[in-house]
Amino acid sequence: MRSTRHVVEPQNGSALGHFSDPPLFVLASLASGPKHGHAMIEDIASICGVRLGPGTLYGAIARLEQQGWIEPLPPEERRQPYRITADGLRVLRAKLATLQQFTRAGLGRLEAR
Amino acid sequence: MNPRLARLLVRLYPRVWRERYGAEFEAMLQTGRGGLRTSANVAWSALHERVVPSPGFKTEPSQFRSWCVRAPWAMFGLVPLLLLAASYFVACFILWSGWKIFLPGNDTPFVPIDGFAIFYFQVGRLIYFSAPIVIGWAIGLIAWRLRLKAVWPAVGWVLIALAGGTAKVHASRPVVPGGAGHVRMVFGLGPFGNGIPDGLFHALVILALTALPYLVWQLQKARSVSAA
Repeated sequence: MRSTRHVVEPQNGSALGHFSDPPLFVLASLASGPKHGHAMIEDIASICGVRLGPGTLYGAIARLEQQGWIEPLPPEERRQPYRITADGLRVLRAKLATLQQFTRAGLGRLEAR
Repeated sequence: MNPRLARLLVRLYPRVWRERYGAEFEAMLQTGRGGLRTSANVAWSALHERVVPSPGFKTEPSQFRSWCVRAPWAMFGLVPLLLLAASYFVACFILWSGWKIFLPGNDTPFVPIDGFAIFYFQVGRLIYFSAPIVIGWAIGLIAWRLRLKAVWPAVGWVLIALAGGTAKVHASRPVVPGGAGHVRMVFGLGPFGNGIPDGLFHALVILALTALPYLVWQLQKARSVSAA
């Protein structure tokens, strides 16, 4: 997967930083329906507070498309929408399930303190 | 974003990547907000794409790569030495011309100076001291980028380190009144210090500095392979 360091943080970003995995963000964004680049950036910013830079976004898109996890739809004017594939949905479910398990375990440990 | 800037930024990406995503990416950049952060993000991503291409976007072996494979002795031995010689020539020319311009009456250019002369001589000094390091780093970057074995890069580093460590600049003025000063380079191990000749000590320092980034990259690669 692509490096997750090149993310344009929002102006009021938390000092603690954000979890950042651009390909996962793109998959999660497309899970609610096909979107083009700008729509993905806005959607990702609204769901997790991270504003991806355009270079980072297209780096993730290129990798996801090559892996067959997303696919392009016919262009709308100059905009190129993408949608998640069945394989992409399966991968997203697996990744989110792992994250959920990790989150539960981490929060459980914090509560036990 | 300014359409010209958007086009320029897209051109930073490799050709094969541009053929697939160039048009839509450029359109997205043009309709989005610009700014230094966005430009830096795109430039960095383009550089990343060139160094570590996305799967399916690897370019064909280039002419440069084929030369590195066919004639590694030239690409990692001769070319770096020629580059170093050119850098030293420029550094010596700056010293000589600065001597003529700013210190015409002095017997040596190695005297305290002030004003613009400081900047002028510092440029030459910067070239002189940084040339072996920068050329060594370039050798490491090329070897890492082309996934080459370390043998020929190591030869290049040793040659560069020896040349850089043993090089000394001499400036002298002939006894003829009004005669032009001479700047020349000599190569020698020099006097003993730290238990070994000074020149060899300097060569070892240069060798360590030039090989370090490559060794760190290799270490990172080994760690990522063992983690996977």
